[in-house]
Amino acid sequence: MAGNPHQVVTMEQRMNSPYPKRDRPVLAVIGIVLVAGAVLFTVNDREHEWRYYQYTFKRVVAERLGGDKARTVPTGLQQIWVPALGRADRCISCHQAVTWTGFETADEPFRTHQSEPLRNHPIEKFGCTSCHGGQGWAVDAEPAHGPVEHWEEPLLGRELGTAYSLVDNKAALMQMNCNVCHRYDRETQGADMINLAKRLVHEKGCRACHVINSRGGTIGPDLTYVGDKAPEQYEYGRLSGQKTAFAWHVAHLKDPRALVTDTVMPNFHLTTKEAQSLALLVLSWRKAPVPAAMVAGTPHTDPQTAEERLAEEAMKTGPGAWFVRTGCFVCHSIAVLGVKSPAQIGPDLSSAVEDVQSRFGRTIDDFLAAPTGTMAVVLSRQIVLTPAEKAVAVEKLREAFAEYQKQRAAGTIAGAGNH
Amino acid sequence: MVQPLPTREERAVPGLHPRRFWSLRPRSDRQSGDAIVSNFLLHWFPAKTYKPSMDWSYSFWLGTVSAALFLLLVLSGGPLLFLYVPSVERAYGSVKDIEFAVTFGSWIRSVHRVAAHLMVVAVFLHLVRVFLTGAYKNGVGQGQRRVWNWTIGVAMLLVTLLLSFTGYLLPWDQLAYWAVTVGTNIASSIPFVGPTVRELLIGGRTIDQPTLIRFYVLHVLLLPGALGALFVYHMWRVRKDGGLARADSVAIVSERLRTVPVRSKTYTLLGVARGTAPTVRTATLEAPDLTVNSVPDLTRRISIVALGTVAIISLAAVYVRSPLEEAANALVTPNPAKAPWYFLWLQEIVTDTTVHLGSFTINGAFLGGVLLPGLLVGLLTAWPWLDRSPMTAAGTWLPRSRRAQNAVFLAIAALVILLTLLGTFCRGPYWHFYWPWQPWPEIPTRL
Repeated sequence: MAGNPHQVVTMEQRMNSPYPKRDRPVLAVIGIVLVAGAVLFTVNDREHEWRYYQYTFKRVVAERLGGDKARTVPTGLQQIWVPALGRADRCISCHQAVTWTGFETADEPFRTHQSEPLRNHPIEKFGCTSCHGGQGWAVDAEPAHGPVEHWEEPLLGRELGTAYSLVDNKAALMQMNCNVCHRYDRETQGADMINLAKRLVHEKGCRACHVINSRGGTIGPDLTYVGDKAPEQYEYGRLSGQKTAFAWHVAHLKDPRALVTDTVMPNFHLTTKEAQSLALLVLSWRKAPVPAAMVAGTPHTDPQTAEERLAEEAMKTGPGAWFVRTGCFVCHSIAVLGVKSPAQIGPDLSSAVEDVQSRFGRTIDDFLAAPTGTMAVVLSRQIVLTPAEKAVAVEKLREAFAEYQKQRAAGTIAGAGNH
Repeated sequence: MVQPLPTREERAVPGLHPRRFWSLRPRSDRQSGDAIVSNFLLHWFPAKTYKPSMDWSYSFWLGTVSAALFLLLVLSGGPLLFLYVPSVERAYGSVKDIEFAVTFGSWIRSVHRVAAHLMVVAVFLHLVRVFLTGAYKNGVGQGQRRVWNWTIGVAMLLVTLLLSFTGYLLPWDQLAYWAVTVGTNIASSIPFVGPTVRELLIGGRTIDQPTLIRFYVLHVLLLPGALGALFVYHMWRVRKDGGLARADSVAIVSERLRTVPVRSKTYTLLGVARGTAPTVRTATLEAPDLTVNSVPDLTRRISIVALGTVAIISLAAVYVRSPLEEAANALVTPNPAKAPWYFLWLQEIVTDTTVHLGSFTINGAFLGGVLLPGLLVGLLTAWPWLDRSPMTAAGTWLPRSRRAQNAVFLAIAALVILLTLLGTFCRGPYWHFYWPWQPWPEIPTRL
């Protein structure tokens, strides 16, 4: 430091610092902990069951179908993203064989999906969890299948069905999700318990007391969306066993008074299967966030009033039926024959015989044989009539005109039908 | 002495060291001086630090821990900014994605959450330390404004709480939704303006998209910016006030010891080393056997504390998973609905002061949620002006002359901590008392 040996170094000496000796080892230890921590969280983040399952599936495919096939097995996290349902289902990260053929009898997670339900419910359009339940976001078996804390949509599979001792069909819980879209169907193929429950709703006359789908009596509560009722809102004081909404409904349906002492709901002496079916049905009645187009049995038209339907029927079968059939009525009304055009672009044809003569100076026969203007276009492209049909048209128009003259004479028509 | 011509690299930017990642090998006095002048750390820290200020057991380095946590929160918040979507429809899903699908997502979120909770603790303990050592008191230095820095510190504690509270809502799960419901309902108990204040806070009458975007902007932009600005000023004031209060107390003691004056000041930076410049002799502030060079002794210790904090959080985040409850549902109130833990002492007071007289209910929200915390914050801010203890009481733990006020402070702090623990661990459904080992009634599920 001191370059000149002749000068006395007078700068205070600070060689007495006790800190380097004490602190350097501490800093070194912290460095090691940091590196160890980084290794730990990296390993922890990489560790997922799906890596093992993908590796195994690839090997299984290689054994059964050869290396070329095995190379087509996708690797890495997989998901089905269904924007319409807001679902990102990552189930296929492990369940890779779902759309493969040849794994029908394999053990899960490598089993091919039954083909029948997929025909009408393509996996790209419906995902997995909209039918099966479970947590589609999750990528590990436990959080995906449930039950896990804070995820109230466990996998609706055989395991949970067994826990509830479902009669006959242990896999029937899933039918609840069928009925989210099929709630207005009388019968849903494959949903036997839901179908049974719907029959019971009719037979037992549930609607005498309950509103269901905006129809029914008001003695009991409205059940239209009872499936949305929070599990905390049921009274479990008299329920033994599992404290779940499903268990509550089963017990309540079997003996209402046992759970709610002052209820007026009668005991229908339902069998266990009937009670379980009805519990599935009522829990399926939820405000489901599915597009209207996916809900079966709902009308996708704007409904007509009874008068509108009658008028349309009268038009189709009345004296002007021919004009409706050929399509003339799209532009022309024929008021005297009871035909009302939805568009009313052209003149009323009631007085066409007279009208054509005055407008074009030609007879109706002549005009139809060689039309001019708009009618030339229409009759050559949209409504192509054979000469025989044109003859019919002339005849019908003359009939209409006769009727028109008759009504004008009677004074029921104010003026000419030209508007 | 022939000096080599400076290279182009060395001439590059005046005031900024040409090599940003330098290790000091100066070739001239000029270069040595520049190295010091352009060193950011030396503008933040003094050249020399009192040894007693370095003690682990004096400050417990809680301010440094808080600053390290803040830095870590900013760093871990960065990636979350890219992943989180502040919309009612997608917030919950985006957090699920961070948890399940994003590489390191779950760990980053846990780092952010653990650091946030610990920061509330660290800032609170820092405040306790400063109070108990009377470190807000001015000492012998000129122009000291320690009292002002204490006020800034109280403000920083409040901003820290607000940061934590606004972050609480963002996952848009039941925990978030109802914690914020409880928190903002307390605000509405202020007489006359309460409902308006609540409406302003949440952007409407119910907690919805306007609330989410308000809390989001506060959380990621305004509050961190405010805290950063306050922090910079806080640090600068510490420097201007002559370091920790303990330095003053040591200076007072050492003056009594009549230390032999030494050369410690110079008018050219390294002149004193060469003995070529006039020096100033001083017995006080830079006594050689009482101080060490800040670089590297202080900076090394700061590294230990900051990196140690990072290491602990990094490890903790692997094991402490961040909870994500059901998606927010305005129709289902979880039982019990609890405010964030650092507000639970207030919720406890609110519940305890809510009196039922027959069919009448006197709500304790105003007393417990507004009046009492307002009073405490006011008292905390004003305390340095009420404190009449002598200057020598500054910078020492629990001095005799401040016994009474320390006792009062400790009693209040203990009560707050006790009520917080009570609210966190001993309150179950309907705010009934449960021992931590007592099971709560089973929470029913759908299936």
